[in-house]
Amino acid sequence: MLTSIFVGGLAIGCVYALIALGFSMIMRATSIIHFAQGEVMMIGSMSGLTAVWLAPFLPAPVVLLVGMTAGGLAAVAMELAAYRTLRRRGVPLMNIITATVGMSILCINGARLIWGSEPLRYPDLFGVEPVLLGGARVPPQLLWIAAAGLLLMAGLQLFLKHTRTGIAMQAVAQDPDAAQLMGVNLTRTMAATFGIAGMMAGAAGVMLGSLFFSFFEMGFITGLKAFVAATLGGLGSIVGAILGGLLFGLIETFSAVYVSSAYKDAVGMLLLILLLLFLPQGLVGLWRRGR
Amino acid sequence: MNASRRDWTIAFAGIGFAALLPFLAPDGFVMHLMTSVAIAAMLALGLQMLLGVSGQLSIGQAAFFGLGAYGAALMTKEAGLPFLLALPLAGVIGGIASLAMVPITRLRGPYLAVATLGFSIMVYLVLKNEEWATGGSYGLIGIPRPELFGFRLRDPMLWYWFCAAVAALTYVGMLLLQTSRFGRALHAVRQNEDAARASGLRVTLLKSQCFVISAVVSGMAGALFAHHLRYLNPNDFTFWKSIEILIMVVIGGVGSLAGAVLGAAVVVVLPELLRVVGDYRMLVFGAMLVAVMLVGEGGLAGIIGGLWRRAAALLRRPRPALRSAAE
Repeated sequence: MLTSIFVGGLAIGCVYALIALGFSMIMRATSIIHFAQGEVMMIGSMSGLTAVWLAPFLPAPVVLLVGMTAGGLAAVAMELAAYRTLRRRGVPLMNIITATVGMSILCINGARLIWGSEPLRYPDLFGVEPVLLGGARVPPQLLWIAAAGLLLMAGLQLFLKHTRTGIAMQAVAQDPDAAQLMGVNLTRTMAATFGIAGMMAGAAGVMLGSLFFSFFEMGFITGLKAFVAATLGGLGSIVGAILGGLLFGLIETFSAVYVSSAYKDAVGMLLLILLLLFLPQGLVGLWRRGR
Repeated sequence: MNASRRDWTIAFAGIGFAALLPFLAPDGFVMHLMTSVAIAAMLALGLQMLLGVSGQLSIGQAAFFGLGAYGAALMTKEAGLPFLLALPLAGVIGGIASLAMVPITRLRGPYLAVATLGFSIMVYLVLKNEEWATGGSYGLIGIPRPELFGFRLRDPMLWYWFCAAVAALTYVGMLLLQTSRFGRALHAVRQNEDAARASGLRVTLLKSQCFVISAVVSGMAGALFAHHLRYLNPNDFTFWKSIEILIMVVIGGVGSLAGAVLGAAVVVVLPELLRVVGDYRMLVFGAMLVAVMLVGEGGLAGIIGGLWRRAAALLRRPRPALRSAAE
């Protein structure tokens, strides 16, 4: 029982963590709260599903890749079409944040026109035979999702630390002006940040879709929860986003079982508010306090 | 920084227009829509106080709105209190709820936003799940018609005037507040919190006071809303409502009270006007939102202000020419 709840929480936590990563990366590079991040996730989910419809023989990793590509493209398109222009005009931050809300409305309603308003079922990407894990029968997709999620996050860490683009993104996040003076192409790096953030969200979309359903409004509440998770970990911190996402998923799943399924979201929110009162910078505040 | 003559002119022109509106369009649906605008305007003014004046971002205003609405509805429906008493009490409920949130006003920027969001999600869940009090997702029905001194406001026009009057009073109150010593202190806090603290302002106290005022106004708006529709559903108080209120303030122009009212009107009326494009309605709305953000820094208030200055400059230009002709 405990094992299967834990794996379930870990899987949903991976979904939150992947979206939260995007929130954090964008927040760190541009100070924008990107409210359309949940919709990027939804676009990834829908695109993955469409790929399966068109070619039912596709293996799960390819579907995941399709979702990632679609999410990445969607996020880059938003950046190029709107946010970049807004930043260049030097409009107040609140305007850009509101524009991301507009973008989110656009995506939700666009998706409803394309894919309809019915929840759409994902085919079983990861098989149906339960896996025995420490005496508990665990649905295989939960294990696959947890594994793929952790793998992606590890991959992102390597990318940020060891590639030129990754290092440039870190530099821009710390000090855009200094980075530009060192020869970093700011425009391209910003677009790359949005692209990577979108890819993570797109992967989360395929995972979430295969856990439950895909539908046009799926990104709204999930995106919010991921934003909360990113704050729980500490906005702007990659490790914080991963920790926050995993923790939030576990809290939610455990409180659905042990507290009340109607109030499962409230538990996470209450913990968040309490945590922020003592650690105004989120979990990363625990070891960053000295600085 | 006293309220300039311009601010008062705009205020009274707006109030005059709102008062005369029923004569221009004596139509049931228009009255319903305009009443909704008056209620939305109060919500937007409440957030403008918070965001535009003290610089605190809240994306959980729907919580105070919802608590006020359900509180007022239960007071008139179950306890039989007169509406005129329930209205201020709904404000008190919003205020008390916000007192619980006062410790979080020391958070900054996105952290404050997330905390208000968390609070509003909790309130939504309570409204949805405590069926014994709120009717749960079926909603709360049978809210009595508003009554003033034993006189039932059955006529939509009278009810509109009442809501518009409450909104107008809120507007004037905020205008006075904004230019008072308290308002100037808040401006200082928004511009530079550290400098304000160094000049001896009690920043946290000021910010929490502002938070409470905003919640009181939202709670009263809730009371009006409950007696306007006379049916409440938790889905009217989701996070989406908070975002709508934020859109009103930003689209109208952060920092401008007139802008908040204008933004409220746009956010309420525009989706109705866009019904002509059918399924594409919200798609167009989203696109317009992004477009307005691209065009104007100060929102609609900024755009209109700019046009006004340009028009004034055009009118002024011929003068030197005339003078030289006379010479």
